Amino acid sequence: MTKTHLPAKFHDAVVKWQQTFLPDYDFLIENWDKYFPRDRQFELCAFRELGICNEVECGDAEGEPKRTKAAALHPEQAGHLLGAIRAQASTEFGSIQQHQLTLARAQNEEEQFWILRMMAEELRHGYQMLHLLLDDDWSSVTDASSEDLVEETLSMRTGSHILGAFNVDFDSFVDNAVFCALIDRVGKYQLNMQRVSAYKPMAESMPQMLREEAFHLAAGVVPLRRWMEQAARELPYVSTSDIQKTINKWFPRGLEMFGDERGGGTNVRFGLKPMKNLEAQDLYIEEVGKLVRDLNMRYIRARIPGLDLAQAEQVLNRILADRGTDQGIAWEDLVHLPDRAFFRRRGVPAFELAGWQGESFEDLPSYLEHLRRHLPDAYRASRDFRHYVEQAQKLTGGEVTLREAVSAMPGLRRVGGVCPCSKSVRWVAETPQSGAAAGDSGSAA
Amino acid sequence: MSETLADVRIRCLEDTDLGHITGIDEKIGGSYRPEVWERRMAYYSRRDPDASVVAESGGRVIGFMFGEIRSGEFGMEEPTGWIEVLGVDPDARGKAIGRQLAESIMDYFRRSGATTVRTMVDAEMVGIERFFESLGFEPASLRPFVKKLSEGA
Repeated sequence: MTKTHLPAKFHDAVVKWQQTFLPDYDFLIENWDKYFPRDRQFELCAFRELGICNEVECGDAEGEPKRTKAAALHPEQAGHLLGAIRAQASTEFGSIQQHQLTLARAQNEEEQFWILRMMAEELRHGYQMLHLLLDDDWSSVTDASSEDLVEETLSMRTGSHILGAFNVDFDSFVDNAVFCALIDRVGKYQLNMQRVSAYKPMAESMPQMLREEAFHLAAGVVPLRRWMEQAARELPYVSTSDIQKTINKWFPRGLEMFGDERGGGTNVRFGLKPMKNLEAQDLYIEEVGKLVRDLNMRYIRARIPGLDLAQAEQVLNRILADRGTDQGIAWEDLVHLPDRAFFRRRGVPAFELAGWQGESFEDLPSYLEHLRRHLPDAYRASRDFRHYVEQAQKLTGGEVTLREAVSAMPGLRRVGGVCPCSKSVRWVAETPQSGAAAGDSGSAA
Repeated sequence: MSETLADVRIRCLEDTDLGHITGIDEKIGGSYRPEVWERRMAYYSRRDPDASVVAESGGRVIGFMFGEIRSGEFGMEEPTGWIEVLGVDPDARGKAIGRQLAESIMDYFRRSGATTVRTMVDAEMVGIERFFESLGFEPASLRPFVKKLSEGA
């Protein structure tokens, strides 16, 4: 594995961004050994894996050498790739802004530190994507300078990020956990697919990011399991209903991160990903289903400690089969996977009136009442939810077409919220600041 | 000679495997210890998730093996792959699950630059000792020493 730093002025820009949006970074580093003894100390740098496959692994150019420069790609292929790198960078920096909102509300210090470490690693992942932008010449597919590409990414805020899931505010620490468990899981799929990218620098960037992503999932799933057990013991903290509503908030956004269910073929043809959107989305749904089952098993075993594994599985299977009550545990006491069409604003089921368990609604008011009951209270007070409701009303009233309603959502915005030419806030300083990193040191990690 | 299962897939450890791994441990030891396995899985997944693998058959995890590469310990400077945790569902024993797990993890160690693979086995666990011997492991000169730290000692 090789280790690289960005040229000094860009490295400094990321550090400046970190000081603004990740102010607890120094606290994390100072206390690293308390929670992560023996783990390698975090470092803000880009890693590239050595020894990955040299040949294109899927698509029209399968078997040909992987491209090491954007100029060697077909212009359309390079355009797709640049879009993917910018979107990936946006998600990495965006998630930090979201987590920071509620990080301090964690009840448990260990869980808080896990999230903090995860935020630092997301910063490194964003840094990794900037490294891809800066380490190559993209002038064949964009007029933006290197400075502007970085500036655009660092200028995005919750509400102006490229993907919808990163434009939704967190309201409590339950969001931190569910986001890691569901949205980072989509990230894992994207990174896994990009591991085979025909663009070698992208493929080389993925292995270390994937290693770190595995811990990010744990940072979400472990608190969820603990809350399920606490709920089963009737402790008054996070209820299964709280968890369910938060799953309902994030799961639809996670599904939309895969892109439209009818698409993805171009990326496969270009050798940038091995799966179309629907294939990857199906696997994701199956995996989240396993997670939900695991959470329910933890609940049942905490609620009835006398059951062994096989007995607990039988109880869960009976409850799920008839949606009834077994040994005092009701279907409503557990958590469930929402329907894939529920509360969607993009893709095939966009703005369908599909309930969280797949039920259909005749009219919008009934559907909005359903959403009121199945989404978190704080989320329904958000700008994001209001935007959804307004578009749904306009669509029903014939004021906008479905295409317009979909396009109007923040998730389809394609540029940063702050114009790159704005001088109001500049992350990339023209003059390098003190303490600049060594540019492109290329040392072995 | 052991028979093999046809549909076994060896893959990296995932967070959603916890329930099955806890279940295997429960079948072996009789205790339900989700917190213990949760901590172990979190530890190994943040150290090096590629160095921990599971065997899956019919949608269920039937075996697992956790490890990592370390160097500089006990005067051994060379990158060394350590196999530290192993479990196979009692219902799936005798089907070469452990061997497939070990071959997968050792292949990863080799590709990652490790030149040696090590493990430690309780002398009373004769079956485990035989298992590692069947994989080519030999007793090493490095011996564990232990001392109880009681009050006033």
